[in-house]
Amino acid sequence: MAALNDLLDIERPLPPERSFSRPFWEATREKKLLIQYDSVARAYQFYPRPTSIYTGRRANLEWREVSGRGTIFSYTIVRRARPPFRDREPYVVAMVTLEEGVNVMSNIIRCSEDALKTGLAVKPYWHPLPDGRHLLLFEPA
Amino acid sequence: MALRDNAIVGFAETRIVLRSEVDVWELGAEILDGILAQTGFEKGEIDGLILSSSSTGAGNIFWSQTTADQLALELDFCQTVDIGGSSPVGAVARAAAAIDAGLCTTVLCLYADTAVAENNGRPRSYGAEWTTPYGYLGAPAAFGMLSRYYHDKFGLDERALGKLAVAQREHALRNDNACEKLRKPITVDDYVQSRMINDPIRLLDCVMPCDGASGVLVTSRKRAEQRGLTRCAVLRGYGERTNLGAASAIVDPTVTGHRQAGERAFAQAGLTPRDIGSFHPYDDFIIAIMMQLEMLGFCVHGQGAAFIHETDFLFSGDLPLNTGGGQISAGQCGLAGGGTNLVEAVRQLFGDGGARQVKDRRHALVTGIGGIPYGRNWNTSTALILTSEG
Repeated sequence: MAALNDLLDIERPLPPERSFSRPFWEATREKKLLIQYDSVARAYQFYPRPTSIYTGRRANLEWREVSGRGTIFSYTIVRRARPPFRDREPYVVAMVTLEEGVNVMSNIIRCSEDALKTGLAVKPYWHPLPDGRHLLLFEPA
Repeated sequence: MALRDNAIVGFAETRIVLRSEVDVWELGAEILDGILAQTGFEKGEIDGLILSSSSTGAGNIFWSQTTADQLALELDFCQTVDIGGSSPVGAVARAAAAIDAGLCTTVLCLYADTAVAENNGRPRSYGAEWTTPYGYLGAPAAFGMLSRYYHDKFGLDERALGKLAVAQREHALRNDNACEKLRKPITVDDYVQSRMINDPIRLLDCVMPCDGASGVLVTSRKRAEQRGLTRCAVLRGYGERTNLGAASAIVDPTVTGHRQAGERAFAQAGLTPRDIGSFHPYDDFIIAIMMQLEMLGFCVHGQGAAFIHETDFLFSGDLPLNTGGGQISAGQCGLAGGGTNLVEAVRQLFGDGGARQVKDRRHALVTGIGGIPYGRNWNTSTALILTSEG
């Protein structure tokens, strides 16, 4: 079984930020994970949206810091990719369910193919981006 | 007036090729020409035009108007439907709605894309911000995660999925319009042994990007009757659902909007899955066919594989499946690809199936799938039931 790549040494495409997602990206500069919370629906949401997915109202939407701990919801082992990821296969793209009940897409790193499975407990790994922000990756907890 | 007062009275299709040598508007002209020849309608009688999304047209914010101008169509109704792979089937329902509302009488639904030769698309989505930085390949990765979820929940039966792939390939062998490169027989073993792309999605699970065009002509049954058109595919039932579970943070990706779309279409038609003579589901990945069998009520959720093992999907079998090969074995004409299976359904109802004609040509079910959202299954699910008359 080929080792799964962690992709820590490639230059990833820089994520743009939108007017309504800026607080998320600013917080990553300090390796903090902020996600949106609707205080009326009493529920979190991800990815950041311009409004509450629960009510369509904006006033009750706030940012809350969370731990980033969670479990793997599902995953795929990418065996054929496009640049800059080409020739760095295989690697893992997964959806992670955070403890707060939202799904986040990311890579699972520092994990063998044998250990990789749905339900695996994971924690954040903050990967530095050239502009000072960080990209949220996950590793086994 | 209602959906069923309208019908598809003509269809046309170009050959599906790896890369088009001719312009997308010339493909459109071929479709118009073919439909006029088949139906006897004059160009001036077409007063509505509905286009599907098109990767080639994507750079043009006046796509439907400029296409109408190229084809010299003078219209009372003109628009593009942009619900991805659901656009071609969705266009038919919108044509009927426009006719019922008195906006126009005869609508050309035209699906043309040369996505390989000329892709002008520049998606503005969640992608650049939330998925591209992770080496996420789009649809194949989405279906990889979806398949893994299905596997963990119900078990993934590779040989059942392979049986679907083989049946569709058998049909492509009998379809002269199918992409030549794909017209080679395959076996279940070939499917199981094809290389992994986004584990557990294999090469033979995926569509191959191609260029091509198709289209149908929609008018009222009354008008069709006045013109003495004996062959009609009556629009019996239609359902559409976009963003199932939009107000939930997490959704089960094995549950799709085809449940709602199918229930609505069958209720409108007064039919059940047992009445369907041929099934023409949107096929971007093989597993999507199995999921639609489950969601549309052919079998129970999670038991698609058992149903597949006991069903003969060949054109001569109990539930003929994508009898032209589907997109997976005929080639995917970009965002116009949803028209391929639609046109095949109409062809079967008209009795023009030739070497692959199905026995029961009373009712056909055609579906659409469109758009890939963040970590779910797909944005839009559509279901259209057609009944032959004449």
